[in-house]
Amino acid sequence: MTERRLMRLGAFPMAGGHHIAAWRHPEAHARAGSDIDHWIGLARTAERGTFDMLFVEDAAAIRERNPELASQAARSTSFEPLSLLAALAANTSHLGFIATASTTYNDPFGLARSFATLDQISGGRAGWNLVTSASELEAENFRAEGLLPHGDRYARAEEFADIVLSLWDTVGHDAYLPAGGDAFSDPTRLKPLHHRGAHFSVDGILQMPRSRQDRPIMVQAGASDTGKELAARTADVVFAASQTLAEAQAYYADVKKRLPRHGRQFDDLKIMPGLSPVVGSTESEARRKFEELQELIPDAVGVGLLSSYLSAGDLAAYPLDGPLPDMPQSNLMQSRQQLVIDLARREKLSIREVARNFAGARGHWQVIGTPEQIANAMEERFLNGAADGFNIMPPFFPSGLEDFVDGVIPELRRRGLFREAYDNDTLRGNLGLAIPRHETT
Amino acid sequence: MIVGLSLTPFGHGSEAWRQAPQSAQLGFHAFLTQAQEAETAGVDFLLLADEFAAPPRDHLSPTATPFDPTLLISALATKVRRIGFLAAQATAQHAPYHLARRFASLDLISAGRSGWLAITAPDTLERDAEYLEVVNGLWDSFEDETFVYDKAAGRFFGPEKMHVLNHRGRNFSVRGPLNVNRSPQGQPVVALLASKTLSPSLAQRADVILIAGRSIDGVTATSEAVRAAVAANGRSPKGVRLLALVAPFAEEASASVAALPVGGAADQVAAALIGLVASANLDGIVALPPTVLAADRFLAEILPALGERDNRDGQTLRERLGLPRPVHPATAGEVKP
Repeated sequence: MTERRLMRLGAFPMAGGHHIAAWRHPEAHARAGSDIDHWIGLARTAERGTFDMLFVEDAAAIRERNPELASQAARSTSFEPLSLLAALAANTSHLGFIATASTTYNDPFGLARSFATLDQISGGRAGWNLVTSASELEAENFRAEGLLPHGDRYARAEEFADIVLSLWDTVGHDAYLPAGGDAFSDPTRLKPLHHRGAHFSVDGILQMPRSRQDRPIMVQAGASDTGKELAARTADVVFAASQTLAEAQAYYADVKKRLPRHGRQFDDLKIMPGLSPVVGSTESEARRKFEELQELIPDAVGVGLLSSYLSAGDLAAYPLDGPLPDMPQSNLMQSRQQLVIDLARREKLSIREVARNFAGARGHWQVIGTPEQIANAMEERFLNGAADGFNIMPPFFPSGLEDFVDGVIPELRRRGLFREAYDNDTLRGNLGLAIPRHETT
Repeated sequence: MIVGLSLTPFGHGSEAWRQAPQSAQLGFHAFLTQAQEAETAGVDFLLLADEFAAPPRDHLSPTATPFDPTLLISALATKVRRIGFLAAQATAQHAPYHLARRFASLDLISAGRSGWLAITAPDTLERDAEYLEVVNGLWDSFEDETFVYDKAAGRFFGPEKMHVLNHRGRNFSVRGPLNVNRSPQGQPVVALLASKTLSPSLAQRADVILIAGRSIDGVTATSEAVRAAVAANGRSPKGVRLLALVAPFAEEASASVAALPVGGAADQVAAALIGLVASANLDGIVALPPTVLAADRFLAEILPALGERDNRDGQTLRERLGLPRPVHPATAGEVKP
């Protein structure tokens, strides 16, 4: 009997919500970025919904240069992801945890150790979302010389990823010997790393037992060609941003077809596009909820967010009811910006409309409707070569996540698309991923 | 007397692993159990020493903690809600922005019960001093009461109370501000390690100084030198807590740490510790037990003899150590009503 293919789901909370103005909503918890008990509650809600994992994004900087705009955005401050997830792991038993961390300003030994620690504390439920840093504000917290060019960032990321994978492989299974013997550990089960490369020199071994899931899960969201290639070589999960079914199918096919050249199978990599759901008991109630949020966006904040995302200078200098101006290709994250620009041109949107649309889901796919309508949209993409699952980005918290767990999850289960209960207690196990072969060994 | 306890899987003795069942001791739940016992006994804080940030690079050490100590703190902090935490991290390990952000986060997660044991190196004094200055500045990115959460006005925080660091130094270039709220205790506690001397440029940043010495005379001499280093900046040594690293029941296993061995029966150990604190002019001790059995005996037999424990709910680490809350430089001149 072949097992039925099940959807993979990630919960993606953000302090203050995915919608830029969501923190102002009466149901939103405004202090989310400094309240650990709020996050423990979110993790328990996600675990009640049998989500595969909870994901947090990251920037090692404030997100807005202008203090006036920064002071109107709840996402200006939050917890550092690994500290946050270590606390959540101690308060849950089955949910996986994915933290975002950049290869641009971290050091590979410290990062490998931190993720392996999260993996130990959680009993094999950790994953790393590998990103490169494209923000000038981040660069200014680490270097006097500003941003690295795109190509340099990826060369560094490739070497960084290989070092981290090797470090996770330095301590073999059963390297710590049973009590009562003459020796503490078995040196034949250790592979100290001695790496000399273009960007890093690393010697070491992790001082901890082998992971229960062999090693943490690797996640990426690369949308550029180099990003997709790195994902096809190293990632277990890919997050993506696609607006239309056709875009999502094209992305899905593109990444999956790269797998064989790295000796990997079709199912070795799960593609999980972002989905921003606004759930209502009727479609008009869901629309009303969304419109309430849109009206809370100050134009200055929405346009400021869009301007910095597109690296387009200050769009407030143009008429807000007019179209987006022509924009040059930037050195920053290139592909996702293009999605936003394409959408604006296709639907002939004004700057204000693009800004509000963008602020709602930050370029991710948005579905507004009843649990049935949202489940329909998910099922269509899941069954038509566009997704293995979804990363769920509710507009505000905690009720946006609760609405999804109490409304959409039961609908997905009724259709046999999602699990009724966890059948595994590691993240790798729940994702249905095999133990990786160790090509580095 | 302030009492800290160092957490390790088997104890600080190099042979301690022989006395404890192995794999279970390496897991998170064994640490959580140790932390709960220490909290119940009234220990002021746990030290995650991490072999003072220099675990071996080619073999498995029986005295290393199998975790990044900062993440161990955040995992423990919501499960034990009164005890404080100090985690060792070397200034060579992380960029100052990452470190400042990690500890600021831990301090929110632990409701103001966290501190950083800064591991510095003798040959990087100037860099270390700049590093501590940057971290301190980043922790002052927001004044107290900056965050107003005014939904109606759409105002999350008062922009005039945010401070962009704009640090440009010889070793670091850091714009800031930190993207984490101000610490519940103003700033996380900063601890330093002193074996013989301590540079005045580092000493001015410390709230707690841990003194390592193998003899009472050595600890006393270091204590005097450290007080002099603190006073060299015109700062009163009363704003700093001096704690000796001690190895109680040192005869239980060969102690491999730079802690003062204190042997004998329980009442002798307690008397020796009280005598040490008085004669070396200290504020307390941090126990580095050679074995987990010695840790249990320390909690059960020694700690009650060291005086009343102030084990209330809702205290920050600073409050527990009797340290003042740091005043933000932007409000230093203001008189609080």
